[in-house]
Formats: sequence, structure tokens, C-alpha cells
Amino acid sequence: MSYHLIAYFAVFLPATILLYQIVPQRFRFIVLLAADYVFFWLISGKLIVYLIGATFLTYGIGRWLDSPKIAQGAAPKTVTKRKRRILALGIVINLALLIVLKYTNFICGNVTELFRMFGWNVDFKPIRFMVPIGISFYTLQIISYITDVYRGTQKAETNPAKIALYLSFFPQIMEGPIARYHETADDLYAGRGIQFKNLKFGYQRILWGLFKKIVIADRLYYSVSYIFESYAELDGSIALFGAIAYTGQLYMEFSGCMDIIIGSGEIFGINLPENFRQPFAARSASEFWRRWHITLGTFFKDYIFYSVSLAKPVKKFAKKVKEKCGRGVSKFVAPTAALFCVWICNGLWHGANWTFIFYGVYYLVIIFIENITEEPMEKLTKRLRINRQSRVYKALQSVKLFVIVIIGEMFFRSETLADGFAMFGRIFTDFHISEYFRNIFSLKLDAYELIIAAVGLLIVLAVGILHEKGICIRERISGWRIPARWGFWYAAIMLVLFFGAYGSGYTIVDLIYAGY
Amino acid sequence: MEKLISILEEIHPGVDYGECTTLIDDHILDSFGILSLVSEIEDEFDVEVGPAELVAENFNSAERLWAMICRLKEE
Repeated sequence: MSYHLIAYFAVFLPATILLYQIVPQRFRFIVLLAADYVFFWLISGKLIVYLIGATFLTYGIGRWLDSPKIAQGAAPKTVTKRKRRILALGIVINLALLIVLKYTNFICGNVTELFRMFGWNVDFKPIRFMVPIGISFYTLQIISYITDVYRGTQKAETNPAKIALYLSFFPQIMEGPIARYHETADDLYAGRGIQFKNLKFGYQRILWGLFKKIVIADRLYYSVSYIFESYAELDGSIALFGAIAYTGQLYMEFSGCMDIIIGSGEIFGINLPENFRQPFAARSASEFWRRWHITLGTFFKDYIFYSVSLAKPVKKFAKKVKEKCGRGVSKFVAPTAALFCVWICNGLWHGANWTFIFYGVYYLVIIFIENITEEPMEKLTKRLRINRQSRVYKALQSVKLFVIVIIGEMFFRSETLADGFAMFGRIFTDFHISEYFRNIFSLKLDAYELIIAAVGLLIVLAVGILHEKGICIRERISGWRIPARWGFWYAAIMLVLFFGAYGSGYTIVDLIYAGY
Repeated sequence: MEKLISILEEIHPGVDYGECTTLIDDHILDSFGILSLVSEIEDEFDVEVGPAELVAENFNSAERLWAMICRLKEE
């Protein structure tokens, strides 16, 4: 079961909608919860015990944090200390489980290598852990919920069913978005009836997501896989094309799945948070990360960046630096310490591989440079009378960002860090543009497929420009006359059916982010 | 309030802090700016700003910031 398969959007989802609609409102949350657990079971089977265990733990920690007993007769400082211990317990248990399941082999493998470097011959056989689907996503939702209860910005939930719904909602369990409790919990539990407008808009968004995933991303997949596997025998120009194609594939795949996910939620009247907002319209790496995988960035900002920056030892250190070096230097101390934690966590969250850690450090360095050069750049452009708002300046910033993103994705997609560096190196040591044009149609992407992918990307670009201008295309189309409207949607369905990369000759391409 | 406005102007000049109510929503204050502001507020007004306070609701305008400072002073 997966969001881009017919079994999901033409069988599982309609069956759930039907059941949800025919039962009385007060039982609808049970239908949703049953659908959540069936969906989870279909993918991860018995591993559903992890999700159920996490649900009870989250409920228990929340109630404990809000319990009046811990505040009875104690001074405010003691209460905070007690609460902090309970929060730490909840976070440690959840993170420990995630680390054991996802990172044991990586940690043990690296420790073994380290021992060998010192001449100690240690033998480590990798352990094959069964990892439940979505654990990286629901673990972050758990942390956000219990931290909000600890901070007092969220009341502890007294209804365990609401917690269960919040952690397991089937459209978001595989790939997020990472929602905050107050964003979805009430809507999930409300059991509001299906509205025709929601059903229509929801399926329209699912169709748009399928277009991105099946027509563009899955078509690029074969070429990307081939280039990343065989880069050593290919020209640097082709390696560069591979990195660009992967960036396109990843963006189309992840944002397409988000469209399917958010569209599915919309049908039930559940507004899931957006995860993408035209990321390539950004002008800096910091802005890019406010537009790409938004909910992950927001999670890191709210629960790591600010927590680390405002931690007492960090503040103390920043103050000492201020006394010795002045405000100009000290203002970077807390944010830099916090950024370091954020980007290491960001890298590690994506998986147990040095490529992901490098990816995190790569953005750490770039964003740090952006921050320290912002003021001098502003002064310099002012002195040189360069208009930072001019089209040329903006275009140059976009090109710079595009290059940054492509390099990052090249390392992100590589099997090992050594592969990433070798592939990157080929761009500078063995680059012949003629080789690319000579081999353009032998990269597992023939002329027909290349044209479809390119036209598809241009359509997405055009839609992105309209969205950036605040134009809601679905709303506009719904205002058209019936023949035009029906004609448009019929053509859109046919477009996906005719040009989708599925059927004979194609394999089903798994969702990239479902593996994280 | 005047002191707060002068801190804001020092951190990010060129904004009408008396009128602007979208300091966070319009990314006038980014996360680096927020942290600089918090550090200055803590020093100047002798309050402790926790991570839970760092929400748009408290930082979108000088007025909201002032309300947060007053509340923290009372606590």
C-alpha cells in the first residue's frame, strides 16, 4: 500500500470515505482510527505494536505532566524540575527506540571501524531490524506534543482516542507532514460530514500529486538511478545532469506525495499543514528551508534551535563572549551552537549514513556564511549602488541557490560519501558538454520521456509562479462553466493516465521519504 | 516601550515599529534577529524569555512584545 497506487486512491480511500460518511457523526473517529490501523497493518503488519505502545506512552506522559499531584505543595522551581524530568523521560524513551531501530548498525559499524584503526579486531555482524513505517515522523509529533504540554502551550489530552488519531492518521503516517497537536487533533476527532466541495478539491489535489509523482518523478527515476550507479564510467556533464534530474525527481516526488496526502485530508475536512511553498523561488538557503519540507524545519526551529539558543549554559557563554569581544561577535554564539545541533539532527533524521550527516553540515556551513555575510553584503551593494531588488540581482541569487541545492542533493542521493565526492569531482575533472549531448538519449530516458518530463516540469513551474502570485487555480477553475470545467478535469485525468510511468516496462517506484 | 523600540531599531533599522504588526509573518525578524532581540530584552528588562514565548503572537509587533515583557515582569 502506498499513496500513489490505485489500491490507495481508488479503493482504500473511497472505501474509508464511504464508511466514514454512513456512520453517525459520533462514531466517525472510530472509522478513521480503524482505517489508520488497517493502513499501518497493511504496510508494517505486527509492527503496529510500536505505534500503539507509543500512543499510550504519549497519552501517559501528557497526563503526568499536567497532573496536579506534581505541583502539590511544591515550590515553582521544584515543579519545573519534576516536569522537566518527566519530559526528558518521554523524549528519551521515544528517541532511544528510534535510535535502536534506525541507527544501531550505523553506530556499531563505525565503532568497529574505529577499533580496527587502533588494531583491535572486533567483529560486528549487522542486525536486521524491522522498522515500522513512519516512525521518524510520528516520533517528532510525539516530541512536539509532550514538549508543548510541558511548556504549557498545550493542555494534556484526556481522551486517548484523540492522541491515537493524531499519531496515526493514514494519509500522513508515511511521509508527514509533521503536524502540531493543535493543528489536526480536533478536526480528526470532530467527525464532520464529507462536503462535496472538499471531496472535489481533495481529489483534484490528489490528481495534481499523481501528475508530479507518476508523470515526472517516476520517469526521471530510471535515469537518476542509472547515473548514480554508473557515474564512474560517465562524463562529468552527465553526472551534473544526474544531480539536476535527481533534484527534480525528489521535489516532484515529495511535493507530489504531499499533494496526495493533503488532498486526502481535505476530503475529511482535515487541514494538514503545507510542506512546500515554491522552494525554488527562494533567494537564499535559509529561505529555501522555510519553503522546503516546512514542517520539519519548523519542528527543528521550535524544539531544537530555540531550546538550544536559550539554554542557560549557551546564554552564559554568549554573555562571556559579549564581555570580551563585543556584541558584533557574541550575537552569533547562541545561533551558531543551535544551528549546529539543528543541522546535525536534520542530517541524521534522514537516515543512518555519512552522506546525510554531510548534507546537514553542508547546509550548516552555507547558512552560517549567509548569516555572517549578510550585513557586509548589504553595505557593499549599497556602496556599489547595486539594486538588490532588481530582476538581475534576484536571478543571480536564484542561480546561486539552484547550484547550492543541486550540490547538496548530489551528496544526499549518493550511496556513500566517497561516491558523492567522486561524482562531484568528475564535474570539474572530466567535463565535456559534447559527451552529454552525444549520450542524451542513452541515459535510460529516451526523447519521448525526456520531452514529457521537461514539459511536466514546465507545467509545475507555471503553476508555481501562479501560486507565488497568490492565485488559487482550483478556485479559478471551479468558476468556469460546466463544459470547460469538466473538459479540463477530463483532460487532466487522461494526461496522467496516458503519460504516467506505470504498467508494463515500469516498476513501482517506492516513496523516497517513506524510507526515512 | 521607547527603550524597546530603540532596541528593535538597532537590530533591524528602517521599520515603522509603531505601526508594523507583521514582524514575524513578513520575515522582518528572522530567527537570528529574534535571538538578538531576546538577549537584549533579557539584559535591559531583567526578564527571562523561555522557548515557549518565541511565537509569532508575541513577536509580531512592538506592542505585543511590550505586553510579553510586562507579563514576564509580573511573573
